[in-house]
Amino acid sequence: MTPPLVKTEGLGKRFGQDWVLQNLNLSLERGELLVLLGPNGAGKTTLLKLFSGLLRPTAGTITHSGTPGFVANPPAFHRHFSGLENLAYALRLAGRPVDLAQVSDALSQMGLPPAKAVMNYSSGMKKRLALARLSLLRPDLWLLDEPEAALDTEGRKLLEGMLSEARKFAGVVVATHERSWVGQASRVLTLGGGAG
Amino acid sequence: MNRTSQVSVTSRSGAQPALFGLPRVFWLAWRDLTLEFRGRAGLLAAVFFLATMLLILGLALGPLRSDLEKAAPGVLWVSLAFAGSLLAGRAFGLEVEDGTLDDLLLTPGSKEWIYFGKFLFQLMLLLLVALALLVMTAGLFYLPLKAWPALLFTVFLGTIGYAAISTFYAGLLARLRGREVLLPLLLFPLVVPVVLAAVRATAGLAQGLPVAEVADWWRLLLVFDAVYVTVCSLLFPLALEG
Repeated sequence: MTPPLVKTEGLGKRFGQDWVLQNLNLSLERGELLVLLGPNGAGKTTLLKLFSGLLRPTAGTITHSGTPGFVANPPAFHRHFSGLENLAYALRLAGRPVDLAQVSDALSQMGLPPAKAVMNYSSGMKKRLALARLSLLRPDLWLLDEPEAALDTEGRKLLEGMLSEARKFAGVVVATHERSWVGQASRVLTLGGGAG
Repeated sequence: MNRTSQVSVTSRSGAQPALFGLPRVFWLAWRDLTLEFRGRAGLLAAVFFLATMLLILGLALGPLRSDLEKAAPGVLWVSLAFAGSLLAGRAFGLEVEDGTLDDLLLTPGSKEWIYFGKFLFQLMLLLLVALALLVMTAGLFYLPLKAWPALLFTVFLGTIGYAAISTFYAGLLARLRGREVLLPLLLFPLVVPVVLAAVRATAGLAQGLPVAEVADWWRLLLVFDAVYVTVCSLLFPLALEG
């Protein structure tokens, strides 16, 4: 039996004196889509970062298996590089072989110009570039922070197609404010507290 | 309330042994150098600072040739130490400016290769500045370049130690506000032995001493380099965790 991609037991995270997350027990398998809902400050992004390993828990345990991939909101890239260069270096630094034709193909599928410097990209184009990066890196755990933000209708269709493809080999966690994700979700976790 | 914290990794499918991180080390250094030359800000600031500093020191210590010659080794290394402190933050400054540090930390495998990639970038940047500085010091302070292979070797050994520590501290402070102020404060006490040994070796070469008499300083520099690179690379993953 394969271990879950991520499993938490009694997970808690505190910033200063404030507990953002407390006593969280869950696990995620390949093929599942976990949707995180909750108001601003409820801990959705914190939980994504805990899943990715970027943050360490204050309490409890978290067990990872497989590689995580994280799309932040907004996503970050080297602004002096083109989309093609950003993706090529992302693959090289992940220790993957680089096929520039494949990278160009991924960019054109997302409707992005390969040679344009990222400093001239719009927010929506950066989000598309982040999704293209994830599709090339093919991590085992897709962690998406408000993936629909800044995307137009066409971009959202691409995102939906990409996630249904990703669920064939990976687990997906989406932090969002949009309840439209609930229909596709394997599980929904509503986090309380926060500013709301 | 009794709280325990634990993180465990069962397997990371992309994790690789350290040896196989070598191409990534070179790609990271090459990527950062490309970014530095495209952005230009850090390198231009350091070269401009150096030129101004050398000019002021030249005016203050001159105009007698003998005074300038005597001061040349010290001027070379103090200038490199100060210019280096301007460049020290560049290794992680590029990631912080573009917000890409998290993406780098999410790459599979252990994090030592990130240290070596950033160290290599920092070393190449410092060597470029050191070469320019060597030429400027020779022109303004009459530093003799007769023994140039030995001088280059001294510069190489000195910059290794400097780059090893500055890369470590740049990583440690990358997420902190006020890192530009903290970095030189933490950096200088640790690079003092490297700078002192490098000054003594350079002064010996400038006086025309045989290489055998300078070799002790080189050995000392080698020991510092080996210790700093080893310790910093081992501590670096912990520094990134914060």
